Amino acid sequence: MFKEMKKVFFIIIILVMTILFILSVDIEYSNPKNLDVANYYIDQGLNDTGAINLVASIYLGYRAYDTLMETIVLFVAVAGVVFCLRGKR
Amino acid sequence: MRSSKIIRTIAQKLFPFIVLFGFYLISHGHLSPGGGFQGGVVLGTAIILLALSHSIEQTEKKFKSRWLNMLEKLGILTLIFLGFLGIFLGYSFLSNFLPLGKPGQIASGGLMLFFNIAIGIKVAAGVSVIFYALVRYRGEI
Repeated sequence: MFKEMKKVFFIIIILVMTILFILSVDIEYSNPKNLDVANYYIDQGLNDTGAINLVASIYLGYRAYDTLMETIVLFVAVAGVVFCLRGKR
Repeated sequence: MRSSKIIRTIAQKLFPFIVLFGFYLISHGHLSPGGGFQGGVVLGTAIILLALSHSIEQTEKKFKSRWLNMLEKLGILTLIFLGFLGIFLGYSFLSNFLPLGKPGQIASGGLMLFFNIAIGIKVAAGVSVIFYALVRYRGEI
C-alpha cells in the first residue's frame, strides 16, 4: 500500500514539474524584446572579433568555452574507442 | 585483399589535393564556411583513403600511430595553453590578445587562426587514430 502510494506520488511530482518547466521555458521568439543577444551578435560581431564569418566569430570568439569543451568531448571519445577496442591485455 | 591498380593510382594522385583542401578549410575558417572541425575531418579522410586503397601497414609506416596520438594531445594542449596565455597577458581566458587586422585578410581574426589550426590538427589525428584502432583490433581491410 505504502509502496504504491509512493509510486503515484512520484508520478504526480514528475508531471507537475514537467508542466512547470514547459510553462517557464515558453519564450516568444517573435517578440523583438527577446532578440537582444542575436541582434548584438549581428551588429557588433565584426567589430568585436574581426572575423567576416559570423559563425566563426561566435564559436571561436564569444563562445570559445563551448569549442574547448567540444574538443575535449572528441578527445574523450577517441580515448574511449581505443580503450574499448583494445580489450583485455 | 589488395585493391586494383586503378584505385591505388587514383588515390595516390588525389591525396595531395585532399590535404591541400583540408588545410585551406582550416586556415580560412574565419573568412569562409569551414573551420577546424571540418578541415580536420577532411585531413583525416585523406589518411583513411590511403589506408583503404593501399594496405594498412604501408600507411602506418608513413603516418605512425604513435605520432598521431602525440599530435592529438598536442592540439588540445595548445588550445588550453593559448587560453591561459590570455590570462597571463591581462585578458580573460580564451580571449583574443592579438591586434585585429583589416577584415577579409587572413590575419584579421587575431587568435582565431591559431585556434582553428590547433583544433584541425587535433581532429585529423583523432579521426585517424579511431580508424587505426578499428582496423587493428576489429578485423582487417
